[in-house]
Amino acid sequence: MKLDETLIVERQGRYFLLTPELKRLIPEDFFYAGTYLGKVRRGVFFPSFNLLAMIVERKEANKIIVDDKTEWLFIVGRDVFKRGILQVVGSRRKDAHTLVTNKRGECLGFGRILHNLDEGKGKPEVAAKNVSDVGDFLRRERRLEH
Amino acid sequence: MSNKQFFLDRYSRLGWKYVPVKLKQAIRINTNNAKEADIIRRLESRRIKLEPIPFIPHAYWICESPFSVGATTEYLLGYYSIQEAAAQIPATLFTDLEDKMVLDVCAAPGGKTAQLADIMRNTGVIFALDIKKRRLTALSNHLERCHVKNTIVRHMDARHASHLKIKFDRILLDVPCSGNFATDKDWFRRRTIEDVQRNAKLQRQILTEAAGILRDDGEIVYSTCSLEPEENELNIDWAIKHFNVQAEPIVCYGETAGTEIFGKQLSSSVASCRRIWPGQTQGFFVCKLKKASG
Repeated sequence: MKLDETLIVERQGRYFLLTPELKRLIPEDFFYAGTYLGKVRRGVFFPSFNLLAMIVERKEANKIIVDDKTEWLFIVGRDVFKRGILQVVGSRRKDAHTLVTNKRGECLGFGRILHNLDEGKGKPEVAAKNVSDVGDFLRRERRLEH
Repeated sequence: MSNKQFFLDRYSRLGWKYVPVKLKQAIRINTNNAKEADIIRRLESRRIKLEPIPFIPHAYWICESPFSVGATTEYLLGYYSIQEAAAQIPATLFTDLEDKMVLDVCAAPGGKTAQLADIMRNTGVIFALDIKKRRLTALSNHLERCHVKNTIVRHMDARHASHLKIKFDRILLDVPCSGNFATDKDWFRRRTIEDVQRNAKLQRQILTEAAGILRDDGEIVYSTCSLEPEENELNIDWAIKHFNVQAEPIVCYGETAGTEIFGKQLSSSVASCRRIWPGQTQGFFVCKLKKASG
């Protein structure tokens, strides 16, 4: 899917990518529409999982590919440990944001690299801090139930 | 006579004998997002035992699972949805959904909306409405998780759907109803015939609004998870007599609906509706209405 700017609409700080058919019909007071791209809160953009899934297909995207156990831990909100990393694509620098994917290349969320990944010995085991993961869908459901 | 006995007597007069029911959890594969065979293989590798539901495409019962099927990576990536088996039937009854203008009233929490989008292959447009703003969040989360792209969600009472000023090709009326005992263990204690009558009245108001914004040759699928004829056969009979619609034959799980209810003779086309007594699924009623040309 391409990000055609003419098809992007904003509502209360949330951004949506529409199809041409939706764009023709979109009312001003809609609640949700098309593909949710993310929201701006206090001047910071928080990408949606749909947007992350679009970015992960791009060659230039930073990615950490993790093993099965780390995948499971990551989607319950845990950080990425060095021993769970199978491959790093793109930036290995401290503070770089990176997508986290499983072995199949499916985007599980994103994190922030905590220290230069080229530096080996003496560095802490946690390699990337979990910023956002798809387990958030489940946490949102639970919040709504309560 | 106890409340429970009152309702059981009614079911008996409709030809069904009460049996306690234990429902199996069911899932539906979102075929737009994943290949069905791959997802089944992945879930089975997680020691989740599945059984295909013979009367619904892409649907499986969960026979055994070491953990919640709502917590797997596959679920979180939108490859499948958790949706009770009978609740999966209504969206499958429409003809030719692709590229259509579709209205889903009372849409939250969004299981059927996501199913419609999947069948439509994200083409056309779905307007999904719900009267409760809080429920729109659950609906939107569901659409986001399932990568639905063709839907506009609005906070709106179904009885005001004509305010959209759009004529629809297909309308899903999964209307608010009294529910049934299979999904609510306190059902017989909590429900009264007055609740049923109140819901039936609301359902007629929604049917009236839907009939007015349906295009000629358009289809309404009407469904409830109620077993009470006032919310089902009697409402459909009323709609056939008041609007330019006919009940269309449908091929799906369930029994032919009755045309004589508690001594009242109904239109013969009500027999095209399906009544599903609790057993393999929860209790359900489903019907397809088609508007005649002109």
